Amino acid sequence: MARVKLTDVKKIYDKNVVAVHDFNLDIADKEFVVFVGPSGCGKSTTLRMIAGLEEISEGTVEIDGVVVNDLQPKDRNIAMVFQNYALYPHLSVFENMAFPLRLQKMNNDEIYRRVTEAAEILCITEYLNRKPRALSGGQRQRVAIGRAMVRDSKVFLMDEPLSNLDAKLRNQMRAEIILLRQKIDTTFIYVTHDQTEAMTLGDRIVIMKDGYIQQVGTPDEVFDMPANLFVAEFIGAPKMNTFPTKLVREGNEYFVTPFGSKIKVDGAKGVDLSAKNVKSRDIILGVRPEHIVLADEKRDDTIECTVQVNEMMGSELHLHVLTKDGTQIIVRVPTINLTHQQRDEMVNGHKIYITFEGKVMHFFDPESTNNLL
Amino acid sequence: MSEKKHMGMKAKTRLSNTIIYIILTVMSIVWLFPFFCIVCESFRVESTHQVGYVLPKQWGFDNYINLFTKTDFPVWFKNTFLIALFVAVIQTVIVLCMSYTLSRLRFKSRKGLMNVMLILGMFPGFLSMIVLYKVLNGMGLTGPNSIPGLILVYVGSSGMGYYVSKGYFDTIPRSLDEAARVDGANRLQVLTKVMLPLCKPIVIYTILTAFMGPWGDFMFAKYIAHASSAGMTVAVGLQSMIGTPSALTANYTMFCAGGVVVAVPITILFMSLQKYYVEGVTGGAVKG
Amino acid sequence: MSELEGKKLDLSQDLSDLEFLRLTKFQGFIYKLIHFFKGIPNGIKKLFIALGKLIGRALTAVKNEFADIFTTFVNGDFKTKLSYLVMGFGSIARGQILRGILFLLFEVVFVVYMITAGFHWLGKFRTLGDTGSSMQYDPILDTYVRVAGDDSFKILLYGLLTIIFIICFVYTWRLNVKQNKIAEEILKSGKKLKSGKDDLQSLVDDEFHKTLLALPLTGIMVFTVFPIIFMIFVAFTNYDGAHDGYANLFTWVGLNNFNSLFNINTGTDNMSVAFGEILSWTLMWAFFATFTNYFLGMFVAIMINKKGIKFKKMWRGILVLTSAVPQFVSLLYISKMFATNGLVNGLLLDWGIIDNISQYIRFWETKNLARIMVIIINIWIGIPYLMLIATGILMNIPADLYESAAIDGANTFQQYTKITLPYMLFVTGPYLLTSFIGNINNFNVIFLLTGGGPKNPALLTSAGSAGDTDLLITWLFNITTGAESKYYMASVIGIMIFAVIASLSLIVYNLIPSTRNEEDYS
Repeated sequence: MARVKLTDVKKIYDKNVVAVHDFNLDIADKEFVVFVGPSGCGKSTTLRMIAGLEEISEGTVEIDGVVVNDLQPKDRNIAMVFQNYALYPHLSVFENMAFPLRLQKMNNDEIYRRVTEAAEILCITEYLNRKPRALSGGQRQRVAIGRAMVRDSKVFLMDEPLSNLDAKLRNQMRAEIILLRQKIDTTFIYVTHDQTEAMTLGDRIVIMKDGYIQQVGTPDEVFDMPANLFVAEFIGAPKMNTFPTKLVREGNEYFVTPFGSKIKVDGAKGVDLSAKNVKSRDIILGVRPEHIVLADEKRDDTIECTVQVNEMMGSELHLHVLTKDGTQIIVRVPTINLTHQQRDEMVNGHKIYITFEGKVMHFFDPESTNNLL
Repeated sequence: MSEKKHMGMKAKTRLSNTIIYIILTVMSIVWLFPFFCIVCESFRVESTHQVGYVLPKQWGFDNYINLFTKTDFPVWFKNTFLIALFVAVIQTVIVLCMSYTLSRLRFKSRKGLMNVMLILGMFPGFLSMIVLYKVLNGMGLTGPNSIPGLILVYVGSSGMGYYVSKGYFDTIPRSLDEAARVDGANRLQVLTKVMLPLCKPIVIYTILTAFMGPWGDFMFAKYIAHASSAGMTVAVGLQSMIGTPSALTANYTMFCAGGVVVAVPITILFMSLQKYYVEGVTGGAVKG
Repeated sequence: MSELEGKKLDLSQDLSDLEFLRLTKFQGFIYKLIHFFKGIPNGIKKLFIALGKLIGRALTAVKNEFADIFTTFVNGDFKTKLSYLVMGFGSIARGQILRGILFLLFEVVFVVYMITAGFHWLGKFRTLGDTGSSMQYDPILDTYVRVAGDDSFKILLYGLLTIIFIICFVYTWRLNVKQNKIAEEILKSGKKLKSGKDDLQSLVDDEFHKTLLALPLTGIMVFTVFPIIFMIFVAFTNYDGAHDGYANLFTWVGLNNFNSLFNINTGTDNMSVAFGEILSWTLMWAFFATFTNYFLGMFVAIMINKKGIKFKKMWRGILVLTSAVPQFVSLLYISKMFATNGLVNGLLLDWGIIDNISQYIRFWETKNLARIMVIIINIWIGIPYLMLIATGILMNIPADLYESAAIDGANTFQQYTKITLPYMLFVTGPYLLTSFIGNINNFNVIFLLTGGGPKNPALLTSAGSAGDTDLLITWLFNITTGAESKYYMASVIGIMIFAVIASLSLIVYNLIPSTRNEEDYS
């Protein structure tokens, strides 16, 4: 239940290694913000600075308008869930969850009420008397969340809480975190390296790389309008295809010319380009695998490719295809669009023609890698 | 063919196991033999000097009775016990403070401190004794009043022996400290509510080794307490009992009795806490 | 690749990683050896460069300190300025009463001490006293009585303490100045200063390390650091039994003691011979004691942990039992067991292995036999501990390593040499070093078993005699406790032990990779 504001926050190790550069972010009350990025991008460091576990080298962190730079973690009124759960092995599940309350010297009845209530929500009531080592990974994670839940903390921090779980459990817990969020309406800051988690959980996503924020935006924004090549490739799976090519302007119409083809830029993208008065130039073109369509025959706007690998995912087919000059492109084809015969044909060496959806292409500057729009 | 080979493997295992059993049995005998001998000799009545056989010709408690009635052994034992008790408490506190700090807290001079400690450890500990003896002597804490002097000497530098328990602390994930701090604990509470309960084995290991130290130490005790029988520990006392050839002839069996009296309680204590000792050694010594 | 194959590799040249991989094991070893020695001059050069840089950095640091002290004074308000004279004034004036009072108190104590005692001791420090005690005629008693003079020991002791006190004072004064500067800055930025209560609060949290370290570090200061400093100074005096500082003053003698150890300009004394002999035996002993225990302990651990061996707990228990019994009991008893008229010889006679008393084996009376015996008995003492450590490590070796090795075709022995041993060596590298150092200073085993004997007339020196199994540490003990009590020689030997251990550690730290990786896993 608090607004968190980071102003010019910097983390510098050993006087010269900068882990986080000028981090500016204003997190609204009850917002769910996800920090996402590859390992070593500074997302966890930022979270730990908010928690008070890392010193803030420069800048300020405010929680509810109070600068907390010099406050100990215990005085910041935050709750945190750790990647490896960090349950106290010597305490029972009940005592683990009661731990923060006991430190507040809360009375016994109230502790009992809160812990059992949280346990109820998380479906771990029957394990309350066990030690953490007798629990499975998923159950441990629930206890860790429960320990954070029982407090009326202003901010709820989660540091890669799901990455120690197996894939199936992870999906399940992800859904539960969404439910949990509806029950405890507070400010969430969630760190993950998994873009799926970021997209499904966050109200807003902060994408980081090498200590710099790349883009802040809603899941839609970062998916539809990636600020730069890094964000474009990081968000979405399988990842976006990118290749250098040319953007050609003919009057008010724009075309891209990848691999000898000529594909028209459609819809809003074209309007935006002309509104910005973009001239013909070299670009890096980005096309998501799901925005590539198969063509029946050779046309001006098609590219001839040969299938290299065919991954059958059930509802869709991931084709790794090679263009004539050896560039690899990934194409995502819904199985429903293909006949059985077509599916069987897609073997190594099979020749196909592909084209791009004109209205969902992305154009990046080859130098700065920033989105042209 | 394959059947035959399979049998061969089994036979080979059996052979190698048999060899191992033989080696272990022989080792056990070699390791236990001196203790068997000392116990037997302590019950020997017919002579007090060294003899060429193990089993006494005449069994009896004479040596034990003499030990307690005719020598200062009860005083030595009491001295050592007192010293060990104090050392166990104070040294444990010091070592745990030191190792917890160096393992869990990060502060500016931490690395430097550890390096200084490493370098200090390269000086032979006995070197300090010369001046310490003079100073303690000036304060009247040697000779018959050696007990406080020895406690000070044992405890004084014990902070330097932090390696094993630091090694153990290092194996506890740091996220536990962090979780506790976020949960509202200050550093002191992290130590008392999380670390110490978690590190029971190393706490017991530290107490145990601290308590056993004074029973086994000879060098410091001899230097501080050599002058007066009233201030001696069992180690110095029993050694002085057989220090000269004539004394050896007169007191040898009594010395054996003394050794048994010292060894039995210590061994029982040690074996009953063996589990923790092993955990401490294997968990901490290697890393430290 | 093919280009590589044709070329004959010159081992004395720097090789790339790929080229290095082509070498056979032996060639690789030679290559490393050559480059280790080739690296020495470079290493020494680097050491001096680093040293120079360190001195340079220290000098600039000192310069910066002075500059900072100066600018703080110039820019500071009157509270700060007055604090240069009255420590803690600024803190009190700004409401940090607790800090201020502590500063002030320290200054008062320091000034009072220096006036009443400090200057007195410092004045005598240069000579360590000039008037010894003397017999003077007392007309009332009508006899000669001893009149106390200077006491060199006390002068050295208090002189050093005074110097340390002065250093502490300078440091505290500097801290006091810094405090003022920081307080001014904080006030300027509009924040509040920490109150006394905050200060106390932070002692269990932010500054918890200070609280925890206070007691241990005080102990180490008083019982290790100061005595070592003192003894280093003693090495440059002639402090011994005859010059005890009271009846006979002792004084500075410069490097004389070190010279006699290295046989420079000293005629008759055996010191350098004895030192050389004892040092070489000490190193030999430490080597054998460490490695016999290490390999045999590991061997025993492997045997006990082998699959299919029953009663593991019992075997372990029997061995651990021996480390439970206080060492002096077991060592003294065993020493007597192997005495010439001891139990072992008696049994040998009894069993008919030797025929009569004249054939008694003189375990402790011949040089080589005594040396072998202490090493063997040390194995008896040391194996249980090593066995425990090795067991811990063996259990940590992932089982799939062995399984994959077995599938790759390694037999039991190969598994041992290719997996167990390298793994153990890697993990226990630092431990081996500590244990080696521990053995250099292993007083108990030698002193209780042989007392240093058998005595060797060749090792007789002005500082007393020494024996064939004497280590530096037991020699040091004897020199200190003997009739002569050559304290200065003990100091010199102590410093030499330090030098030996320090250089050994330096080499090992640079050779074994795992010693360098000190970072904790977190």
